[in-house]
Amino acid sequence: VVKREADPTALLPLSAAVLHTLLALAEGARHGYAIAQDVETLTDGQVRMGPGTLYGTLQRCQSAGLIDDAPAPRGRDADDERRRYYRLTPLGRRVLELEIARLDRTLAAARAKRVLRRPEPA
Amino acid sequence: VSAPPTGHPGRVYRAILRLYPPSFRDRYGAEMEQFVAASHRRAAAGGWWASLAWWAALLWDVAATVPAAHARALRLRRATRPRHQHHDTGESMDRLLQDVRFAVRTLARRPAFTAVAVLTLTLGIATNATMFSLADVMLLRPLRYPHPDRLAVVFATRGTTNNESLSYPDYVDLKAASRTTEEMAIMRGQSINLTGGDAPERLAGSFITPGIFDMLGSTPILGRAFTEAEAAPATAQPVAMLGEGVWRRRFGADPKVIGQTLILNGLPFTVVGIMPTDFSVLGASDVFIPIAYYPNAHGLDRDARSMTVIARRRAGVTLRQSELELSAIAAGLARTYPSTNANIGVHLEDVHELLVADARPMLYILFAAVAVVLLIACANVANLQLAHALARRREISVRLALGARRGRLVRQLLTESLVLSVTGGALGLLVAYWAVQGLVAIIPFGLGDFQPVRLDGRVALFATVLSLATGVIFGLAPAIHGSRSDLHDAMKVRAGGGRPGRVRARSIFVVAQISLSVVLLVCAGLLTRSLIRLERVNPGFDGRNVLTLEFRLPAAKYTESAQIVDFFTRAIAEIRRVPGVESAALVRAIPFSGNGDGRGFEVEGRPLQTAELIRANYNIVSPGYFATMRIPLIAGRDVEVMDDAAHPNVVVVNDVLATAMWPNEPALGKRIRFGPDDAWRTIVGVVPRADHFGIADKPRPQVYAPFTQDAQIFTSVAVRTKGDPMLLGGAVRNAIWAIDREQPVWKVRTMESLMDGALSGRRVTMRMLGAFAGVALFLAALGIYGVMSYLVSQRTHEVGVRMALGAARGEVVRLVLAQGLRLTIVAIVIGVIGAAGAAKLLESQLFGVSSSDPLTFASVPIVLAAVALLATYLPARRASRVDPLVALRE
Repeated sequence: VVKREADPTALLPLSAAVLHTLLALAEGARHGYAIAQDVETLTDGQVRMGPGTLYGTLQRCQSAGLIDDAPAPRGRDADDERRRYYRLTPLGRRVLELEIARLDRTLAAARAKRVLRRPEPA
Repeated sequence: VSAPPTGHPGRVYRAILRLYPPSFRDRYGAEMEQFVAASHRRAAAGGWWASLAWWAALLWDVAATVPAAHARALRLRRATRPRHQHHDTGESMDRLLQDVRFAVRTLARRPAFTAVAVLTLTLGIATNATMFSLADVMLLRPLRYPHPDRLAVVFATRGTTNNESLSYPDYVDLKAASRTTEEMAIMRGQSINLTGGDAPERLAGSFITPGIFDMLGSTPILGRAFTEAEAAPATAQPVAMLGEGVWRRRFGADPKVIGQTLILNGLPFTVVGIMPTDFSVLGASDVFIPIAYYPNAHGLDRDARSMTVIARRRAGVTLRQSELELSAIAAGLARTYPSTNANIGVHLEDVHELLVADARPMLYILFAAVAVVLLIACANVANLQLAHALARRREISVRLALGARRGRLVRQLLTESLVLSVTGGALGLLVAYWAVQGLVAIIPFGLGDFQPVRLDGRVALFATVLSLATGVIFGLAPAIHGSRSDLHDAMKVRAGGGRPGRVRARSIFVVAQISLSVVLLVCAGLLTRSLIRLERVNPGFDGRNVLTLEFRLPAAKYTESAQIVDFFTRAIAEIRRVPGVESAALVRAIPFSGNGDGRGFEVEGRPLQTAELIRANYNIVSPGYFATMRIPLIAGRDVEVMDDAAHPNVVVVNDVLATAMWPNEPALGKRIRFGPDDAWRTIVGVVPRADHFGIADKPRPQVYAPFTQDAQIFTSVAVRTKGDPMLLGGAVRNAIWAIDREQPVWKVRTMESLMDGALSGRRVTMRMLGAFAGVALFLAALGIYGVMSYLVSQRTHEVGVRMALGAARGEVVRLVLAQGLRLTIVAIVIGVIGAAGAAKLLESQLFGVSSSDPLTFASVPIVLAAVALLATYLPARRASRVDPLVALRE
């Protein structure tokens, strides 16, 4: 219904919540609570998503066609069949890549201008 | 789709979820609940503080995402519809979102203002939500039984009284003949002795007919219920059912107890089933026994009216129709059994109505009080908002000058109020979650017949509506006033004392707060004075240092009157030997214990005018009862040991009976009897009236008979002690066990605690009302202080001029005080008028205090004036310290 899928760049830049959510789903399907926990881990506890924020973000992403429902993966988390799983759509992956590339360019520019010191080797 | 997470955050969050649009809720609600349950588990592991932080984060999340979710829902809906429709709504939704963001930012910049406003509103909404959750289950929702609207209690009527119990044979006949009722059952509560174990125990028992289970929708959790045949006198089987509570406590929830035999009231009963504990019917029971085993002698006779009968009507039959039918049947019984049933009619009362009748006035009063607290909170926040708006006058003027429409500004300011009130509402709901549990704990009556009191969707809805309404009420005036600023006004830097309209608005709010506080304080004061009066009422006896306890002899063991008399005589003697006991006596029904008996009597030599006997309270005492209770003899003598079965029957009567029957001659020596089959009893003594069922009872005729001439298995002991009565509880109990080790003794209480209990309902009402009045006073003081500070700051220039011209500090203080006092006096006058009206409504709850009690009406204004003066004095003093040079330069 929403015709925005055609042009991924129209969605950029992504809000922090959307970016983190897509990032959390990059490795594979997750259920809601796992997304929130992933985000918390990925950001060293800097970003904590409440239920309203998380599911609001999921709704936005779904209606923009960035993610869709995934079948529950077998074997893992089989303890709770009620949970719904989400995964990136091809469009979502494309948007995420574009956003990361954009951020990467920004970061490179920042380093070139010595706004940021080189990170220590991880 | 989902099994909702149970436990503590789940329920609250489910209520909160209603704030989100339905489409969002349907899609994600279940997942969000799981999310919250999971994340709370994690946070709760971190302890109390982590849990609190978690709640705060959750509420922030809700506040931040609800508006966005609504905007999204609207956009999505619009996207699925033709474009030209609802274009406007979506746009205004976007604008609302923008307003909300702006409001949140503005409020975040003024944390002190925001905190005070939110706190005030939290208080107001929490009290209201709490009261609503209680009133909702008690008044608005049906009882938790099946077809609760068709349940009624069947009473017998006699002359002008219409609340007597029924007799068993009448119940049987009514039930058999009635076509308007589909079920009718007996529920007669009476304590039961359980013996044969380690220690004898007294259990709360119910003698019933099994229809009661069906009628109240209760099924055994184990075993089975009795059948009608097992309970009917002719075929009765000694079977019993246990309540879940006693089964767990005393029998360790052992399922093998089914089929076992218990010794109840000295007889063996086979346990056939366990009833759930929540089956409470007008009081909880440990044991259920067929009515056929009702142990009182002649307890099942047609003139023994002691059965509580509950009836369920057929669908579509009204209470009135059913009452007419049952009355017709009762009239038939009166013709068939004239000696027992003449003048006995039937009266039905709705069970729900009966249960809430006593609590209703209290609920109304408290509800009115919390509504007033909320109004005061609104006035307070409105005042804060006005001050806030003043500070922003330049911002607003500039925006107006740049072409902003006034309507847009009003809406934006209103949005701010709504953000405040919704936040206050959310926090209030959270506070209410705990407050409800506290309230349920202090309520002096059981709530077992109602649906459980808790925060649910209805309460959340109520709080939401209330928050929104509150936001509009306190936000409208500031919004309109605030947006009226114009460039001309604001650009004049000093702006000479603000606009008169705004000062007037603030003054009106202060006046409203003070007058509402006056109303609440007067009501609280009147109730307090009533309570004090009630506590000082002379009940007709001296309850200090009196220990009471109850016991009942097993009927199976004590079949002869002589056995009972013997046991009682020895018991008194044993108790009197206990060190520290001054005197001791038996009385069948201790005053204020809720026990008590009524009987009809006739006077010798006076033909009955009607078939009706005169009603009197009937009690059985041992010699020394009056001395122990310090009830003086007005005439004649006490009952004595020699007044036994071998001697003529005697009674002592109270002065109410004596003067009613023999206004012009002594009652001593006259004879009365309880119906034609009874022996004549000679009046040997007259005592003054004493309260029995409650403090400041209606004076009723009273007859006391000696236990030696009417031996009954059920009795109480009254013991006057030299020191603290409770210290002797164990010793007195041992004295009884010295005679019979198997004899349970219960309800060991002091007379004072019994009398205290009679006032507990009033005390709770009074305390709560007092607390609300205190909150109101505090908020009002805050309001006065705020407004006076504001006025003083507006007059700084003027004060500077005055002081430069030689005015003394005292004069400046007086000037400001006078201004505050004017407002206060106006407010107090209005408040007193309002209070006079409110007190009239309170009249039924007052005792010994007129609804226009001068002391209360004089002292409340004084208190308020003092508080108002203090709240004015602080800004006044500040004004007087103004440096004239600074003030003039400004």
